[in-house]
Amino acid sequence: MTLPTILHLVDDASAGGVMRMLSHIETAPDFARFARHRVEVVSRSRIGARREGADMIVSHLSVNWRNLPALMTLRARHPGLPLVHVEHSYTEGFTALNVPRKGRFFTLLRTAYSLFDSVVAVSAGQADWMTRRGLVSADALTVISPAVGLGAFTALRPVYHPPQVIGAIGRFDRQKGFDILIAAFRKVENPALRLRLIGDGPERAALQDLAAGDPRITFAGFAPDPAAAMAGVEAVAMPSRWEAYGLVSLEARAAGRPLLTARVDGLADHAAAGATAVSGQGVDAWAEALRNLTDADAPVRIAVAEARADAARAEARFAESWSALVTALVSGGDAAQQRDLAQAA
Amino acid sequence: MPKASIVVPAYNVAETLPETLSSLLAQTAQDFEIVVVDDGSTDATAEIVQRLSDPRIRLISQENRGLAGARNTGIAAARGAYIGLCDGDDLWRPGKLAAHIAHLDARPEVGISYSGSEFIDAASRPLGVFQRPRLRGVDAAHLFRRNPIGNGSAPVLRRAMLDRVAYRPAGETQRDWWFDETFRQSEDIEMWLRLALTTDWEVEGIPGALTLYRVNGGGLSANTGRQLAAWERMVEKLAPLNPAFFAAHAPAARAYQLRYLARRAVSDGDGPRARDLVLRALACSRRPLAEEPAKTLTTCAAAAALTLPGAARLGRIATQRRLSYPKG
Repeated sequence: MTLPTILHLVDDASAGGVMRMLSHIETAPDFARFARHRVEVVSRSRIGARREGADMIVSHLSVNWRNLPALMTLRARHPGLPLVHVEHSYTEGFTALNVPRKGRFFTLLRTAYSLFDSVVAVSAGQADWMTRRGLVSADALTVISPAVGLGAFTALRPVYHPPQVIGAIGRFDRQKGFDILIAAFRKVENPALRLRLIGDGPERAALQDLAAGDPRITFAGFAPDPAAAMAGVEAVAMPSRWEAYGLVSLEARAAGRPLLTARVDGLADHAAAGATAVSGQGVDAWAEALRNLTDADAPVRIAVAEARADAARAEARFAESWSALVTALVSGGDAAQQRDLAQAA
Repeated sequence: MPKASIVVPAYNVAETLPETLSSLLAQTAQDFEIVVVDDGSTDATAEIVQRLSDPRIRLISQENRGLAGARNTGIAAARGAYIGLCDGDDLWRPGKLAAHIAHLDARPEVGISYSGSEFIDAASRPLGVFQRPRLRGVDAAHLFRRNPIGNGSAPVLRRAMLDRVAYRPAGETQRDWWFDETFRQSEDIEMWLRLALTTDWEVEGIPGALTLYRVNGGGLSANTGRQLAAWERMVEKLAPLNPAFFAAHAPAARAYQLRYLARRAVSDGDGPRARDLVLRALACSRRPLAEEPAKTLTTCAAAAALTLPGAARLGRIATQRRLSYPKG
């Protein structure tokens, strides 16, 4: 039996987490077992082009009004082919903070998602939101949380002692909420604590201003090797204002790092798997959480071990879930053939 | 499960609670319950509820936790998909609940449904003063500047929305929080703004003055310092959610807040304080002047007139002295 060919389309090659995930899909043996995967980085003008030789197309594309005609063309040119969209960006938190006209935005999403045979939410939190807003019909919605190769993270020695070096890892963008974290960290007076911000981005200067005068806070720059960056911290904080899934949270759990996350969107999935969720998103709530984390004893260790055990299975779960989706849409592909015939007739 | 719950926070409201409950029991909507939270009253509030035998009423008694704490207890106990709030001294017009149920049924993306209010005095007489808020196209900036929801007896909330912001602060063992109980004032606007900045539910009003909001004059302007402090603490707490939003809108919102406090000082006949507040409002932002020139200029003129000798009597207009909980 020949393996089906899956074509992954992506238009924003600067999205670090998405590109790492795609690189994992392209190269991981787990994924090679059930399909051949090709990744194509496309410009808007190329989104709708006719693709030969693919048995299924997976969109990791940005959904917006400007892309909508191209997505419609993509659908129209591949009438019988299974099309899947993975929603990497949009969430309730994103909508709350970035969308002035919510009704219009939901109309865009409903329209775009209806072009696909299946829509993949990257977290249960995001899927709940899609269901609540009626963005996708229940039978077309699947939750598959992304993963990357986690071997280098699970190989790290887990942290079961009270952590003193807190890491904030990710793009320096207002989405990540590192400004909240710095303000909160400064309220925690323990001189032994360290906060290490690892990354780069448009907010770098503003974050450095916020941190000025507190020698416990350092900036490490962009880390080309995420596992090496993780090895240098004893806990991870993710105070994101919105987050569809949060790959760094998965990596932190796999590395056995105690993890604090905001209680938003996909980050709630990590809380369900052993991370500590911080409610309220205020500076005081984060300061309190940092104090509790760094004073931590037995209960946290159990949570860290549980979170690590769950994360260790994430890579396999990721491949299995995609394999199941491909099987359902391609191999059960009589339906697709019939649609082709219907189209021809 | 009833379709709707009406939560009645009640603190020392024995005088007004019977009328409040009568107005709620007289709702034309069919399927609802009333959850009265006796918040550590020292008067006959609890006995009044116990004496009523209507099966739709439930009484919960607790040690005093304040207005936010009483509402939270009521929300925790409420079973309806929609939850209305009505303070123990305010009244609902008979069609209010039915109108909000119809609104929330018809508009599934709306999380907060509210209406305008008419002010009544201690004897429940209409004062001819209305809150006629903007009803449509309300975003976080409108909430912050003008709080169209208006008062704590105006909104009916969708349970599914409340579930999105429930949290359990350290030290709380009984139930979740929705309103932030560390606030004794500004707890309403803190909640509405937090909802607007962290969830994607829409806020929308329906026509009509469906709430009768009880006020009586005098004695509150001494409180303006604490009011303002609570408001500023609300801004400080929520600013990290969206710093750019607060940088853009806080000056105008602060000006409106100061003008509101100035009007209360005017009502109390406190000329110097009113004048001080009005000047501070204008120093913050000219937006109240540009957006609502008549109301702003009236406030300025009244404050100025009050600084004339013997003018204190002139300023008495309907204001917002709450009988039980201090007004937030």
